[in-house]
Amino acid sequence: MSTAMSTMMSTAMSEPLVDMRDVTVRFGGARPVHAVNGIDLRLNAGETLSILGESGSGKSVTLKTLLRILPEQRTAIGGTIRIAGVDVTALSGRALADHRGGVVSMIFQDPMLALDPVYTIGEQIAETVVRHEGVSRAEGMARALEMLTRVRIPSPERRLKSYPHEMSGGMRQRAMIALALVCRPKLLLADEPTTALDATVQIQILLLLRELQREFGMGMIFVTHDIGVAVEISDRVAVMYAGQFVETGAVRDIIRDPKHPYTRGLLAANLHGAHKGARLDAIPGAPPALDALPDGCPFAPRCPIAEAQCSEGLPPARVFGPQRQVRCLKA
Amino acid sequence: MSAAASIAAMAAIEKSPGYWSGVLTRLRRDPVAMVALAVVLALILMAIFAPWVAPNDPYRSSMIRRLRPIGTPGFPLGTDELGRDMLSRLIYGARLSLLMGVMPVIIAFFVGSAIGITAGFVGGRVNTVLMRTIDVFFAFPSVLLAIALSGALGAGIFNGLLSLTVVFIPPIARIAESVTTGVRKIEYVEAARASGASGFTIVRVHVLGNVIGPIFVYATSLISVSLILASGLSFLGLGVKPPEPEWGLMLNTLRNAIYVQPWVAALPGVMIFITSVSFNLLSDGLRSAMDLKA
Amino acid sequence: MSAAQGMSAAPGGSLAAGPLLSVHGLTKHFPIRSGLLGRGSVVVRAVDGISFDVTEGETLGIVGESGCGKSTTARLLVDLITPDSGEIRLANRRLGADMTVRDLRRDVQMVFQDSYASLNPRLTMEDAIAFGPMINGMAERQATNLAHDLLSRVGLEPRRFAGRYPHELSGGQRQRVNIARALAFSPKVVILDEAVSALDKSVEAQVLNLLSDLKSELGLTYIFISHDLNVVRYMSDRVMVMYLGEVAEIGPVDSLYSNPAHPYTRALLAAMPSMDPDRRTEEAPLSGDPPNPINPPSGCRFHTRCAHAAPVCSSAIPNLSRLRAERHLAGCHMLVPGSGHPEAAAEARP
Repeated sequence: MSTAMSTMMSTAMSEPLVDMRDVTVRFGGARPVHAVNGIDLRLNAGETLSILGESGSGKSVTLKTLLRILPEQRTAIGGTIRIAGVDVTALSGRALADHRGGVVSMIFQDPMLALDPVYTIGEQIAETVVRHEGVSRAEGMARALEMLTRVRIPSPERRLKSYPHEMSGGMRQRAMIALALVCRPKLLLADEPTTALDATVQIQILLLLRELQREFGMGMIFVTHDIGVAVEISDRVAVMYAGQFVETGAVRDIIRDPKHPYTRGLLAANLHGAHKGARLDAIPGAPPALDALPDGCPFAPRCPIAEAQCSEGLPPARVFGPQRQVRCLKA
Repeated sequence: MSAAASIAAMAAIEKSPGYWSGVLTRLRRDPVAMVALAVVLALILMAIFAPWVAPNDPYRSSMIRRLRPIGTPGFPLGTDELGRDMLSRLIYGARLSLLMGVMPVIIAFFVGSAIGITAGFVGGRVNTVLMRTIDVFFAFPSVLLAIALSGALGAGIFNGLLSLTVVFIPPIARIAESVTTGVRKIEYVEAARASGASGFTIVRVHVLGNVIGPIFVYATSLISVSLILASGLSFLGLGVKPPEPEWGLMLNTLRNAIYVQPWVAALPGVMIFITSVSFNLLSDGLRSAMDLKA
Repeated sequence: MSAAQGMSAAPGGSLAAGPLLSVHGLTKHFPIRSGLLGRGSVVVRAVDGISFDVTEGETLGIVGESGCGKSTTARLLVDLITPDSGEIRLANRRLGADMTVRDLRRDVQMVFQDSYASLNPRLTMEDAIAFGPMINGMAERQATNLAHDLLSRVGLEPRRFAGRYPHELSGGQRQRVNIARALAFSPKVVILDEAVSALDKSVEAQVLNLLSDLKSELGLTYIFISHDLNVVRYMSDRVMVMYLGEVAEIGPVDSLYSNPAHPYTRALLAAMPSMDPDRRTEEAPLSGDPPNPINPPSGCRFHTRCAHAAPVCSSAIPNLSRLRAERHLAGCHMLVPGSGHPEAAAEARP
């Protein structure tokens, strides 16, 4: 269905940094969970894409698929995923270890869980450099110090010897960014890294990520549920619902002219500029269970403009301009 | 709303299966736990109906047929050092052994839970006093404490039961305290306080139901320990006195026969082993069945 | 049935002159155990002498970052935590003098952030809601009927939901049950402590609509605590900004959002994502994290992060001073002519 789109994209640019085609992720079990259902995504070096969605939309699973950190036994990945020209689904052993943390790196919502509590920040960063680049420990520590300075942690020499619990939330998040970027990955995956932070700290981290991304020229995929954050950080947005990209496009276009009814609902629910006392245009109901997806458009049961044909089959991705796709019959 | 209408409305309400019926359903799907449960039930039935099940009188000795091997006609599991039927003694032995294994844990479950839940829910100084007292008992290894207590109290079934109960109160109180302290901080308890409920009501409605499960699971895991300790006491001559059949005591009196009839001498040990493993597996199954996945 | 109770409560409250809920000098310090023996001198100054009023029928929003004391304030208001000092008045009755904690809790109810932890996993939804009325003397049949009434009032069909357990419901449905439980007492004031923060955006909007409906139907007064400034702006009539256990600024929502007087309020507003791809935020309004409330800075607690800090800020504690708009107050030396702050004169009122 998206062949026209993908041939157009591949002729337009030589080789994107990330190239996902018709990717599906299923979790096995008594009732298989269809977490990701046929997503296509192209990302160039130096570009930032936000995946915007609510809990259970499959946005975090998409990131974990790219990093190949889903449990192998009970996960079935379909479609093709290429990062920097390498087929990610075929990686194993040493090559997979190099892929994780070397080519692709990830930052998480809760740095307390991502950082090891029994090692100092310096040791953890140095260890990563030693493992991926085979340099000496002293060299690793020097690189760690350089990175801590880079992410603007105050008195980095002292913080090199700090344990994660000795740092404040914002500082821990900076330390995790330093850890993720120390090996200069080509792609940074960010899974709601600012959600748990206070507002005044969140904006600092967003600005830092924006700056480092520009400086390192890496691609970034940023998962968030907050449209405001997506606007601050990204060039493009993919709105995810029930494991599909229901709308993709440049931030500007999505904000000013949302075409999918779900995107419109999300924008209204953000309450930016909502008139006090006016009733909110809330999307009714709840997202479908991923082990029992409807045949048609997954949003149809909640959609204010749905018609009979919406429930008959999955709406195709309709192209509206070079980077704009909407999966809605009525867009 | 009239009573009839409200009853009609109540009748139409979709009831979800309760928590415990869910636990039972999950337990029933666990083959290992079900086998363990079957063994435990069989042992209990065997103990209750010993007079009907046992082929011979367990007390009747005979100097001429001492230490017969397994498979002797009329004595399928052989005879002991006084010529008594091993099978009958093992069957009768289940009575005292299970009593000594289960009773202390049941009593300690109630006493320990009461202490632990009180300490955990009231907190503050009450917690400090209760739990530090418990800690004093905890300082002794359980085997040593049981031996010391029943040694001081003198041999006998009652004293054995009493000393084992004292041994098991501290660990159960500990678990009860930590689970209760955890539950006390959860917001539904705060919400209940905000609705003006008294401490006793909160414990009854909101705390008990949520802490009793984990405490119960832990207590069931102590049954096997209690069985072994009880047998140990009897083995040392501090629990059951001869000629009563009890597995631990039988193990003791048969130990001189180990070179003559090793298989017969090992039988009480096999019973202790099977019983304690079954209780442990049942406890494990119960724990996973009670694990509520949100 | 509950509607009738709610309605009858409303006119009773409005007879009393003055604010419905009034808080004066409320303080709570949590001692931290230090060393083996007893308590040391280290305390967390969670709430430090705050005062505010809530008028009947209005919504007071409370915003602030972690450690600012907004959740402690909520718990103090329903006496889940006993204050060290300060007084709480409800309809002119003072807690501890002419009002018992039991009276207070009947009139002031609370909805917590974590919808799952707020519900006993072993109780069905009807039992969870009926629990409060029953322990306060209502007969079981009557309490169950009330629970069913309340369930349908919060948009959950009693036939489908009354017999369910918490883990069978979605987050939004559970939060509706928590709201229903709070309403079972026909309270005058409902405190919503981050009650919609854990919900997905689309579900959050549904619950906000429900809260607005309930407020107008039952004549409720809300204290709406959130870290989301958009939501607070949408829901509140007045907003209180807290910083490290103190009130930095309090005022009518429009005045506070369009003319923030305290540098901290301005920073909070500037830290909101811009929502305009052509005008993204280029500079963070503040650096670093909020300081620890264990040892708050001297003088004005914000001076360590404030771009306008002057020597006077670290030595003198600023009082809340009145601003041009009615009921708009802020605690900053720059707003007080002659306070010794170099920028004070420039900001002085004409």
